[in-house]
Amino acid sequence: MKKFIFTLFFICAIATQAQIDRSRQPQPGPAPEIYLGTPNTFELENGLKVIVVENHKLPRVSYTLAIDNPPFTEGTKAGVSSLTGSMLGKGSIHLDKDTFNEEVDYMGASMVFGSGSAHASGLAKYAERILQLMADAALYPDFKEDEFRKEKDLLLEGLKADEKSVTATAQRVEAALAYGKGSPQGEFITKETVNNVSLQDIKNFYGNYFVPENAYLVVVGDVKFADIRRQAEKYFKAWKKSAPPVVVFPDPSDAQYTQINLVNMPNAVQSEIAVENLVNLKMSDPDYFPAMLANKILGGGAEARLFLNLREDKGYTYGAYSRIGADIKTTSRFRASASVRNEVTDSAVVAFLSEIDRITTEKVSTQELVVAKADYVGNFVMALEEPETIARYALLTETQKLPEDFYQTYLEKINAVTGDQVLVAAKKYFKGNNARIVVTGKAGDIAKNLEKVEYKGKKVPVFYFDKYANPAKKPEEKAIAADVTLKSVLDKYIQVIGGEEKLHSVKSIFSKATGAIQGMTLEIVAKNTADGKVVSETFMMGTTLSKQVFNGETGYMVQQGQRKEMEGEMLTSAKENAYPFPELKLRNKEGVTLEGIEEVDGRDAYVVKNGKTRLYFDIGSGLKISRVSTTEIKGQPLTQTFKFGDYRDVEGVKIPFKTTFDTGTGMQMELTTTEVKFNEGVTDADFE
Amino acid sequence: MKKRFLPIVLLLTSLFTATAQQVAFEEYDLDNGLHVILHRDNTAPLVTTAVMYHVGSKDENPERTGFAHFFEHLLFEGTENIDRGQWFKIVTANGGRNNANTTQDRTYYYEVFPSNNLELGLWMESERMLHPVINQIGVDTQNEVVKEEKRMRMDNQPYGQFATALFANLFEKHPYRWPIIGAMEHLDAATLDEFLAFNEKFYVPNNAVLVVAGDIETDKTKKMIEDYFGPIPRGKDITRKSFMESPLTETKKARFEDPNIQIPAILTAYRTPSMKEREAYALDMVSSILSDGKSSRLYKKLVDEKKKAMEIGAFNYSLEDYGAYIIYALPLGGTPLDDLVAEIDEEVGRLQNELISERDYEKLQNQFENKFVNANSSIEGIANSLARYYMLYGNTRLINEEIDIYRSITREEIRDVAKKYLNPNQRLLLEYVPREDGDNR
Repeated sequence: MKKFIFTLFFICAIATQAQIDRSRQPQPGPAPEIYLGTPNTFELENGLKVIVVENHKLPRVSYTLAIDNPPFTEGTKAGVSSLTGSMLGKGSIHLDKDTFNEEVDYMGASMVFGSGSAHASGLAKYAERILQLMADAALYPDFKEDEFRKEKDLLLEGLKADEKSVTATAQRVEAALAYGKGSPQGEFITKETVNNVSLQDIKNFYGNYFVPENAYLVVVGDVKFADIRRQAEKYFKAWKKSAPPVVVFPDPSDAQYTQINLVNMPNAVQSEIAVENLVNLKMSDPDYFPAMLANKILGGGAEARLFLNLREDKGYTYGAYSRIGADIKTTSRFRASASVRNEVTDSAVVAFLSEIDRITTEKVSTQELVVAKADYVGNFVMALEEPETIARYALLTETQKLPEDFYQTYLEKINAVTGDQVLVAAKKYFKGNNARIVVTGKAGDIAKNLEKVEYKGKKVPVFYFDKYANPAKKPEEKAIAADVTLKSVLDKYIQVIGGEEKLHSVKSIFSKATGAIQGMTLEIVAKNTADGKVVSETFMMGTTLSKQVFNGETGYMVQQGQRKEMEGEMLTSAKENAYPFPELKLRNKEGVTLEGIEEVDGRDAYVVKNGKTRLYFDIGSGLKISRVSTTEIKGQPLTQTFKFGDYRDVEGVKIPFKTTFDTGTGMQMELTTTEVKFNEGVTDADFE
Repeated sequence: MKKRFLPIVLLLTSLFTATAQQVAFEEYDLDNGLHVILHRDNTAPLVTTAVMYHVGSKDENPERTGFAHFFEHLLFEGTENIDRGQWFKIVTANGGRNNANTTQDRTYYYEVFPSNNLELGLWMESERMLHPVINQIGVDTQNEVVKEEKRMRMDNQPYGQFATALFANLFEKHPYRWPIIGAMEHLDAATLDEFLAFNEKFYVPNNAVLVVAGDIETDKTKKMIEDYFGPIPRGKDITRKSFMESPLTETKKARFEDPNIQIPAILTAYRTPSMKEREAYALDMVSSILSDGKSSRLYKKLVDEKKKAMEIGAFNYSLEDYGAYIIYALPLGGTPLDDLVAEIDEEVGRLQNELISERDYEKLQNQFENKFVNANSSIEGIANSLARYYMLYGNTRLINEEIDIYRSITREEIRDVAKKYLNPNQRLLLEYVPREDGDNR
């Protein structure tokens, strides 16, 4: 008997083993069924529609108030909606800001507001109070002048920080050129438009647009429908029934032919490229899914063609992607984009166009389609884990006017798409022949080659635009006159600041400057000698913050009481810049070149290149107006810029009394020279 | 008679805890020692397959640091049945995603798939446990990748080396003193045989826990687990050394220079007990009082009101054998670091001498309840928690019960734990400052 059991066990064991063959990858089981709960909905008399998804898995709740207004423009007051958003959520006429914040914190809840939205979440045991507070802050805002000023300053500060940002400029111009500057999607905020906004404008905007006509309250979590119904009535009943203004805007139109729109940003170290065209696509269109899959295969991720070609194969960029929009209310964009190195800008444009051509003329491979579908299915299924997804789908079904079973049959529709359908959709929505290729970058480095780009055997015309999407003249390439040489530029500079003889008579300079950084006043005392020694000390409120000393051969620095020897690049740099007038030596240094003419703040300047440093000499006055040096931080280029101005005469020598330093990381410091002395105040002991 | 009371008591208990969710799970061992935890939740059709191995940087030979993390890379190279370079492709082509991570205490691998690919997930993890391909090509490739990772995440990352500098100074004997990523020269010097030996020692079923969570059918899943993992041979029992630190009795000062930063930071760190101890939970609560949210004490005082700090934080870096309680601050507008330390000490002193108010205590309870609820919001998160509670705490039930520990901690205990562990003479004071070379101004 025992033996029999043993044998049986043995057979079982074998049978078990035989069932799997681990040398073969298991195949997926039948497609999983998806369980999409149906949300409960109701509407208040004022028009607010409430969507409730009960989910009792976790004792928490989230509320989203979304106002789905038709498109509008803000015109000369662009920024009013953004400011309205940032003014909301700071308490209400019933509760001051601090009390409001403290209570939100106490409950462990979170609450954020936008110009047409509000979101709050927290523990279910506080469900009603959270809703009440959110409604109170949304419906009874307390628009105060001091908060308004604070938010306006913040917005202006942000615009200022973005002024030289190549990516911010690119995004602005790309949208403005695609949709038109005066359109809801193409307009943008500027310093001027923000300054036009008053507190009364905020109140008007809020009154016009923060209205219940197109509003949805989406509730997800461990709550009961009946309770929400009662609470929504209670807290939102007083929201006055009203509809927002409706304006009809003309449809934007595509570029008539393939063209490059070049935005010159002389400070750009990378070019932003966007190949774009307009798309009239709705989620309910029969070719919505083929279009999404076509985009996924072209540029939807790290396995897509653009990424494989421009990054993996050619190494032009860190990443290249494409996106396609779909919206029932507005025209959207197809946009393929990447940030690329200056020198490969034209090649990258060609690569983009050829990938767009390929996907619009050849059928995608079966393998590509399979992977793209799997990716879609995976993402769809994973999103279902969050109850918010069901609420979002319910909201989109309403606002995008989708068939009731759109999401229930989502996976079937994805899986049914054929390669032929993908090709048809690609042809329709990726328009190589009407592509607008917006390149934001340094024209001086990239324009010449971009003008040679051909598409389908024809030259692609290049049109120039400024940072605010206005047509601009092609930046002139200024030729250096035949009689100008490196030596003549440096000689002229030496001449205008006092002449060689005078400069040589300066054996040492003692100078003091003050400036402010992050609200704190700094004082810098520097001493340079003609035999190449330097000491510079930075004080803050009387105490030394840092000190650098170079004695002609070796040097060290002290920072917060710790001493460190100079070495490497730092030592080389100290050696070169220790002299009171380093340009005297520069004339004979090997490898220093005259590069050309570039604009600095609207003035033409000769560019002298010395290793990683570029010096700019005003063509007119001959004065040195800027010094730019580039280093690498985390593999990204970091550019530090000094600008010199307010040259004043000191004992026959011209010295800049105003120096602006841009750290390249968004911080700027302005230094004002307060004292300059020649041949006094400096002793050998200073350099020990 | 007595017996009849029991169910009522149980019922009462369950009523008391009814505010929190219950994560249902089942756990058992395979014959080869692999611990299995199943969690079924059919809300969404997806499944997580995860394996945690009880090996981290603290298990390394001091001459071969970085091995545990290196394996986290090496074990994606391929197996006898999964060709080199195919791992990630298989995952994406089946609509999944995957990842892995390493700490001082353990290494964790997981995949998330639509639930019809459960078998695929189990196959992949069992392949990795049974017969990963460890050869010189893989070692050489991953050696480069790890170096790149170190450059990107630490050497070139502002404040990226703070943990390294902190642990190197806070611990003297315990292997927590070296960084997880290890020393590159150790990895360069390591031979293939050493890697193979590490695999044989630690990557065995009796040193691992498998978690399968999500849209599963329990019986079918158990059968598949037996099919794929059952045949993997048991490894030798692992004996672990224990390391005792002698207590700090005076402030230890240290300094680290980071070339990637412009603003210095001051860090204070105190050695604290293992994360399994009740005191570690109380210390977590101390962190919340000090720096969690805009109304927390240090944030409100130093960032909001006095504007002396740009950023401030307090957290309990809890580990299996010890913890490090860390408070750090970045000065604003040139505030001297000493000043920040004095401000921090003042707040810690308040906690040591005064009980927190009842309202602060309630707020604290709300914050922890909120964290607890959200920690269990995804299947992926639940899988990780189940593995961690089993492997590092030795109590899987903590997934539901840990909140009760926080709830039971009194205001007095919070005060006492601050008094016992957060004293100036028990700490490391680390000045983390900018390094000024490479400057070409």
